[in-house]
Amino acid sequence: MLHLRPENLLVQKTLTEAWNANENGAPLSLDRVISDFDYTTLHVSNTPENKTVLWLSIKTKVWQSALKCGNGFLEHLESKYSNFPGITPTQQPEQGYDYTLQVDLAQLQPEAMVQLSLLKIHVMSFAFQLAFQEFSVLSQQTQDPSSFSGSNDTGVLRHLQYRDDESIYIKPSNDRVTVIFETFFQDETDKVFGKVFLQEFVDARKRNRSIQSAPQVLFSHEPPLETASVTSNRRTDKDRRFITFVLFPRHFQTPELQFSSVCHLALFRNYFHYHIKCSKAYMHSRMRYRVDSFIKVLNRAKVGETDESEQQTRRTITGRKMVY
Amino acid sequence: MSYLNNPAIVMDNGTGLTKLGFAGNDSPSWIFPTAIATAQRSATKSSGSGASGSSAQSTSNPYFGNSTSATSFNNLASAALMSNNLAGKRGTEDLDFYIGNEALSAAQGPSYSLSYPIRHGQVENWDHMERFWENSIFKYLRTEPEDHFFLLTEPPLNPPENREQVAEIFFEGFNCAGLYIAVQAVLALAASWTSSKVVDRSLTGTVIDSGDGVTHVIPVAEGYVVGSAIKNIPIAGRDITLFIQSLLRERGEEDTTLKTAERIKQEYCYVCSDIVKEFNKFDRDAQKFAQFIVENTEKTKRKVIDVGYERFLAPEIFFNPEIASSDFLTPLPTVVDHTIQACPIDVRKGLYNNIVLSGGSTMFRDFGRRLQRDIKGIVNNRIALSESLSGTKSTGVDVQVISHRRQRNAVWFGGSLLAQTAEFKSYCHTKKDYDEIGPEIVRNFSLFNMV
Amino acid sequence: MSQSLRPYLTAVRYSLQAALNLTNFSSQVVERHNRPEVEVPNTSAELLLQPMHVSRNEHEQVLIEPSVNSVRVSIKVKQADEIEQILVHKFTRFLEQRAESFYVLRRVPIEGFSISFLITNKHTESMNTEKLVDFIIEFMEEVDKEISEMKLFLNARARFVAEAYLGEFVY
Repeated sequence: MLHLRPENLLVQKTLTEAWNANENGAPLSLDRVISDFDYTTLHVSNTPENKTVLWLSIKTKVWQSALKCGNGFLEHLESKYSNFPGITPTQQPEQGYDYTLQVDLAQLQPEAMVQLSLLKIHVMSFAFQLAFQEFSVLSQQTQDPSSFSGSNDTGVLRHLQYRDDESIYIKPSNDRVTVIFETFFQDETDKVFGKVFLQEFVDARKRNRSIQSAPQVLFSHEPPLETASVTSNRRTDKDRRFITFVLFPRHFQTPELQFSSVCHLALFRNYFHYHIKCSKAYMHSRMRYRVDSFIKVLNRAKVGETDESEQQTRRTITGRKMVY
Repeated sequence: MSYLNNPAIVMDNGTGLTKLGFAGNDSPSWIFPTAIATAQRSATKSSGSGASGSSAQSTSNPYFGNSTSATSFNNLASAALMSNNLAGKRGTEDLDFYIGNEALSAAQGPSYSLSYPIRHGQVENWDHMERFWENSIFKYLRTEPEDHFFLLTEPPLNPPENREQVAEIFFEGFNCAGLYIAVQAVLALAASWTSSKVVDRSLTGTVIDSGDGVTHVIPVAEGYVVGSAIKNIPIAGRDITLFIQSLLRERGEEDTTLKTAERIKQEYCYVCSDIVKEFNKFDRDAQKFAQFIVENTEKTKRKVIDVGYERFLAPEIFFNPEIASSDFLTPLPTVVDHTIQACPIDVRKGLYNNIVLSGGSTMFRDFGRRLQRDIKGIVNNRIALSESLSGTKSTGVDVQVISHRRQRNAVWFGGSLLAQTAEFKSYCHTKKDYDEIGPEIVRNFSLFNMV
Repeated sequence: MSQSLRPYLTAVRYSLQAALNLTNFSSQVVERHNRPEVEVPNTSAELLLQPMHVSRNEHEQVLIEPSVNSVRVSIKVKQADEIEQILVHKFTRFLEQRAESFYVLRRVPIEGFSISFLITNKHTESMNTEKLVDFIIEFMEEVDKEISEMKLFLNARARFVAEAYLGEFVY
């Protein structure tokens, strides 16, 4: 697996099961906790009165800061699901959760399940959406010289705190939208590996011609100027890293492009932490191989002991391993 | 710290099936074969199918089903793999693999080879296992291991070195927040606390764990496995399936595939109290015979299979192994009795009193009742003999076999129960402990005291 | 192989061959004990021989501490930068974790070195001394190679991952 998918497979699976059971006339009683990256917990349960109606609740770290990004957050979420029959937001979220959608299984469509599994992305996408809107206002202003004030950097800095120590900052201006990730590594090894990875993110665009049109990536230890208003008064921690993605209009021209850019950006941290872990796994397997070969050399030194012939695994004629 | 609110992850990696899920849920979120399909280097890779991810997946997605068998019989032939976009890219072979049901369908193609990293309950191939976990965590459970505590299971008599290897992978590879490794049998005991028959929540009892490959009888005294007394029986789910298949073949039924036999086992089989009487009942009452209908995937052809004596004969091989096998002849109740007799004398009463079933092959109707009756018979005979020899009156031994609703995934469910408690995190070893002390830290875990 | 590595390894080989001349020797302090004298605090100087220090440069050194019944060999593996430091640390930790099957590996390296071996007279009696020396030399060669390969892999993987991620933004 190379890319992390934006949709949550387990939400899809759970809803599919519930839907199938409902189709067969035997609705399931559900009370399941499902998790997603970055302190996100989803809860699927039956409504108290009716087994064919589900509640899908979400609790996520990013909620509070997303709420502060601007007005119309709940409307934004509502708009994502208003096209699908059977999905309505509840007035009062379930106890302990931030937001609850009521899902009527009888009316649920397969596409809606995919959208429901994207709930967390939709929560995060709000801040991006606002930035894209503001960008279009700003770029209009620049094109119209009469109202052009001279300053070209009037966008509002939006702040998404999606983990305890890590945040995303989004700042629109008249020709770009800047997305800044503030990250922090807890583990020593990760710190070093992360540095290698982040450096490659910066260099990749320069090196490979085919991805010239990707956003520009910058990497620094110092808080970038864009975030100065927020980060200046904070303690400066030398373990902090700032990764800046500069999105150009071509990355968010259409709603589809906006959505796909947001998906990838929202999963950026998970993606690269996942790959740090994969590299460690690969190194582990390399090291296991090394250990075996060293032991072989050492065993050769033994006196009077013939090499134990390794137990051959049985294979079929096509080279597959016999399992039983 | 805010990860305190994240649900702990419970992973039960068995020889055949892996159960994954979150603590607090009543059933595992994912159940799939512990199989991994890795790219074969020699094979020429066909170009990726490039299925776009955001497009709607059909609702009959085969990986969404929970498996009940390691050699899965879901409709996998028609499964389209979610592309991992890696075909043909050099230097990334270690990312090009599938696990679970996807692995089974990938292995049908030429470019992947299937392997099962766990044999006899113990991890055999650590490279594969590490990647299996990696994919379980990131793809199926969608969690950042740094934010969650993990509860893993291990078979009884797992060498401590294996635990250390697990810790190495989880702490160094995945940076998981905390780890607890529990013995499967102990978790199965904990799962039985949901049964109404259990009055005191003790961790003393005999666990009969019957999965696909082997049946284990494991005595547990106060949370510790009595290792020397564990007994294995080479009769389990697969043997029953094969036995049904052979009966179908003998009768010359139209469809005698393993898949059919397995479905018949799951849907029709039960345990009777007396075979001879049951044969008579069948002969008198034709209603007892069932019919099983096989449809092919396109639902165009249907075959009708008669289901006869195998309904009660198949599970009977636990109690009368000679009807199916020629090399193993000890019935399950006798084995359980031997196991308990091999334990220290002061725990035997507790062991007889709390015989807990776990695993899919103990799910037959009346399995527990028959077992209880047979063991009681053996015990009562012994008591009568000793009474007549010594001339004293025995206080008697109470035999109780406990079946409960969570039996199929008892181990996972027990893990879920324990991991949802507030104390769970204090029993775990954390990443900080590991960094300070090293892998040997996992040699000891304190036991849960849930009373 | 670079110019100076060969003489370095040769020097280590001859020093080791000279040092691996061990005999069974009971402890003079504790009755019925037979312990590697190089590992225990020693009051009798005649049991310890002069340690040998073979050094290629400040990053690559070998310390051989011979005694009457045991030899301790400590290796400092080249660590040019932060990444190599981490990789060497991970790799040696991984090996020490499996010290059981390495017979001669010490679970903890001595201060200032990456990894240590302890060879006792038991080992030289059950193993071919010449082959044992071969093992140490091969180990030194392989470790360097492995570390640089892992570093290359890390860079290649990082590049691949970064390009794959940014490639998703190309519309």
